[in-house]
Amino acid sequence: MMVPTRWIKILKDTWSNRSRSVLVVLSIAVGVATVGMINHSGIIVRRDLFGAFDKGAPASLHISVSPFERGLDSAVESRSDVEAVQARRVTSGSIQTEQGEWIDLSLNAFPDIHDLDVNKVTIETGASDLGVRQIMLERLSAEGLGVEVGDTLLVQADEERVFPLEVTAIVHDLYTMPYTLLGEVTAYVSMDTLQWMGKGSYYNRLDIVVADNEHDRDHVLQIGDDIRERVIEPSGLQVYRMEIPGIGVDPGRHWAEDQINGFLLILQIMGIMAILLSGGLVINTVSAMLVQQIKQIGIMRSMGARRHQIISMYLFNVFIFSLLGLMIAIPVGVLGAWWLSEFAAGFVNYDITTVKPPLEVLLLQVALGLLMPLAVALVPIINGTRISIYDAIYQYGLGGEERQGLFDRALLRIRALAPPVVLALRNTFRNKSRLAFTLSTLTLAGAMFIAVFSTRASLNSQLDEISRYVMFDVTLGLPPASNIHTTLREANRIPGVAVAEAWGHGRAEIIHTDESYSEKIEIVGLPYDSQTVNPLLLDGRWLQADDRRAIVINKDLLEIEPGLSVGSVITLDAGQRERSYEIVGLTSTHLSGARIYLPYDEFGSLTNRASLVDSLRVRASQDGLSNRITQEALAEQVEARFENAGLSTSDSMTHHAIFGDFTDVFDLILIVLIIMAALLAIVGGLGLTGSLGINILERTREIGVLRAVGASNIAVRKVIVIEGVTVGLLSWILGALLSAPSGRALSGAVIDAVMSANLSFRYSFLGLFLWLLVVVVIGVLASVAPAQRAARLTVREVLDYE
Amino acid sequence: MKSFRNVNGKSNGKNGTNGTNGSPAGALRQNGSLIHFNSVSKIYSTSAGEFTALKDVDLSIEQGELVSIVGKSGSGKTTLINMLTGIDRPTRGDISVSGTSVQALNEGERAIWRGKNVGIVFQFFQLLPTLTVLENVRLPMDFGGVLNQVEREQRAVELLDLVGLTEQADSLPVRLSGGQQQRAAIARALANDPPIIATDEPTGNLDSHSAEQVLTLFENLVDTGKTILMVTHDDELASRAPRIIRLSDGEIVK
Ligand SMILES: Nc1ncnc2c1ncn2[C@@H]1O[C@H](COP(=O)(O)OP(=O)(O)OP(=O)(O)O)[C@@H](O)[C@H]1O
Ligand SMILES: [Mg+2]
Repeated sequence: MMVPTRWIKILKDTWSNRSRSVLVVLSIAVGVATVGMINHSGIIVRRDLFGAFDKGAPASLHISVSPFERGLDSAVESRSDVEAVQARRVTSGSIQTEQGEWIDLSLNAFPDIHDLDVNKVTIETGASDLGVRQIMLERLSAEGLGVEVGDTLLVQADEERVFPLEVTAIVHDLYTMPYTLLGEVTAYVSMDTLQWMGKGSYYNRLDIVVADNEHDRDHVLQIGDDIRERVIEPSGLQVYRMEIPGIGVDPGRHWAEDQINGFLLILQIMGIMAILLSGGLVINTVSAMLVQQIKQIGIMRSMGARRHQIISMYLFNVFIFSLLGLMIAIPVGVLGAWWLSEFAAGFVNYDITTVKPPLEVLLLQVALGLLMPLAVALVPIINGTRISIYDAIYQYGLGGEERQGLFDRALLRIRALAPPVVLALRNTFRNKSRLAFTLSTLTLAGAMFIAVFSTRASLNSQLDEISRYVMFDVTLGLPPASNIHTTLREANRIPGVAVAEAWGHGRAEIIHTDESYSEKIEIVGLPYDSQTVNPLLLDGRWLQADDRRAIVINKDLLEIEPGLSVGSVITLDAGQRERSYEIVGLTSTHLSGARIYLPYDEFGSLTNRASLVDSLRVRASQDGLSNRITQEALAEQVEARFENAGLSTSDSMTHHAIFGDFTDVFDLILIVLIIMAALLAIVGGLGLTGSLGINILERTREIGVLRAVGASNIAVRKVIVIEGVTVGLLSWILGALLSAPSGRALSGAVIDAVMSANLSFRYSFLGLFLWLLVVVVIGVLASVAPAQRAARLTVREVLDYE
Repeated sequence: MKSFRNVNGKSNGKNGTNGTNGSPAGALRQNGSLIHFNSVSKIYSTSAGEFTALKDVDLSIEQGELVSIVGKSGSGKTTLINMLTGIDRPTRGDISVSGTSVQALNEGERAIWRGKNVGIVFQFFQLLPTLTVLENVRLPMDFGGVLNQVEREQRAVELLDLVGLTEQADSLPVRLSGGQQQRAAIARALANDPPIIATDEPTGNLDSHSAEQVLTLFENLVDTGKTILMVTHDDELASRAPRIIRLSDGEIVK
């Protein structure tokens, strides 16, 4: 036992004050683990997702071309500004699940799947050859369908025949949007198989990696234009579509890079908040500890302890806390990082190579975990040990001096309240800096809590807004050349259908006055009195019965064609014809892209498809949407009816299916955020318990006096609980004030990160009032233990304390 | 309490009782006394105005004296002891202990000086609650940096033997009776072998039997050359000291 006695004292203090020690250790651990988890998973994602993505030659550009033979790719590849080209066939179909449902399928074919030059895939399990009547599945699709190598799948390439295909391998493809997000199966077949299925043997897409400046959007698009003009069109082929892959990212970047980075940034901010809070909690607890030990400090000084010896004792104590905190934080951080990156892997389909914590993360955690507590504790330690030996032993200077500000005097003047309440209120404001700390923790937690709810509310209102344009219970895709009358007649025969509409869908380009063309824009032909759309008009009016050359555009169109407004006249080219229209109305954003609404007949003549429609939209009730069950039942009926009548074999889609999936992803993010807010609330509550504890310690004498004048246990407790609840309510008011800007910022960040959309902010009053409840509960819970302690003080103990 | 002479005999040789350890250069020893108060006054300023707790106190105490300090509540006994131990500073006057001018030292120097020269025993709250009795006794040696770990342990054991607490060595303070705690505090005050022991009502909280034990301990310590100042309310105990200083309104009356 060669440990110096003063270290032993600290070790034993730490042990004998277990709950306080655990509190500090946990608050250090929470902050440090959060920072570790966030930085570590950021590194994992950058290394294993973005890194692997970069290694597989990500395409800068996808060019969809009319059917072409091999040779076009080599012609493009010979250009000096092109690094690599891959010819690809992409076609859609559907595939049958184990439950017998048909779901969307994206079929890909290459000259040789083992030798891709762009968007390289790896074959994970199974045979490497891909013969006729065989299929390879992307691994998340295989997982989602529960399919293994050797199984036989039923595939439909068109609306008629069903082909059994044998699964020969599972493929990992980082470049396609995974099944878990899109709900679409990705699979690979040989050209011979497509031929066998009657889909023809040709390619229809070029995936291109440009030679330099591969992340420069304009540069890449310019090369694309050049390829179209100089290579594709001269070969007598047509470019259908030129697209930079990803959700608004720069070329060559992972398709969700912006979203992932946005989310990591939000987490990073949370991490900083967690560290700030745990620092605050350390300060709070160490101050409490020093107040409690004032007499002991005096005794130690009286036996010759020098100040630096005492300072080093308490720093040693904090060091122990830090060390224990780190011992928890490092493994928890690694587990958290693992969990978070696994969670992400389920959506973005990458492999975690290792969860071994990187050195920089460990160093960051050690630095934060050791230095942060020592640094912040230095202040209360230096302050706490500055007290002279005389004051320490005779307890002068503690709670004795009371500077009274205006506020305190105002509080003294409150007469209407009962004495314990007044006492509690006065106590609350006694130590202003301690109050400030507790308040700011709880305020932050509250602002965060309400912000998360506001984010949810904003998202909902955003979805409601979008939902206005999707006011059907069920929609069914129709084969080309479906007649409107046949379709509606059939639909109206289905029992339970109250509203049936058929819409025409197409694409058109706007011809600008300088003869240039816009990109292709979705056009919709619908009855002017459509009941399955409830437009929110930002300007102008909706379509009317006698409208001919009138159209309504959505706000999303303004992003591509900023000059337009109500009253503008534009010329549309739908391939067959060109016509000019006046814009009569502008609707709110749809988030699904630019759209132009035309009266149904006008749509028919513009596209030269009079009386033909592409989709059926039905509703079970005149008044509005029905619930999920009704929607699903209706969907089955519609599908069965149209299949029997030989009108359509497509899958129908319910309103719920469209919006349900959307909210699921958000809910996951919101859960992470709510957990963070809950942590803040816990930290705030612990802080409150801590400061109530010190307050009681400082006011032992006063409590003794309360006792001496006959205050009951309940009365003593009441004073403390009222104090706790008062602090809680104050923090609620401050948090409410802060929650408006913080809510706007958080929901803006989240919605931007995930939907890349502008936000329509909605403040959550539900969150505000839930937090009120939470804060009152925190106030009560936080004061239970201190109140108990105060009530246990006997008059004798209080006098002893003198 | 039997082996007490032996312990002190041992440490006497090592440290001496007239030690001027820690005294700054040039300190002078006034008229040969161990402790000398020269016209010491202490004035507290309070919100109610100034209050004179000690008035021009002159006092000399020789090595080996057992002195009891008596007086009514508020007469300045604690203040006087605090001047001696350097816990508080005089407003005027000079206090020299073993030739060191105590009030001239700053807080840090006083802590070191105190560790070597004065053992203090208070009325309440002496022992650090989380340390065992033995560890409490070792603590001053730890701060003073004297002896090695093994020797500290040995000395602590000997001191506890001296005050008759061998069996309680490994107990926590709460398990001890008031008298036992007070004796443990005395053992701790002796840890660095200071020439002076200053105690403020060491028996104030004790029953007469325990108080008796403490006083016997003091008498034995004085025999080995320690100088002891003891504040007490109890006239009977006070009268057992060869010298009694009576304070009244901050002045020595006898
Ligand atoms: N820090 C202080 N500030 C103001 N007055 C003080 C302070 N310390 C002591 N006094 C006053 O000085 C006077 C002497 O106090 P002191 O504690 O020395 O008395 P005492 O003789 O020890 O009394 P008791 O027997 O009650 O312990 C008392 O009137 C006391 O109120
Ligand atoms: Mg006194």
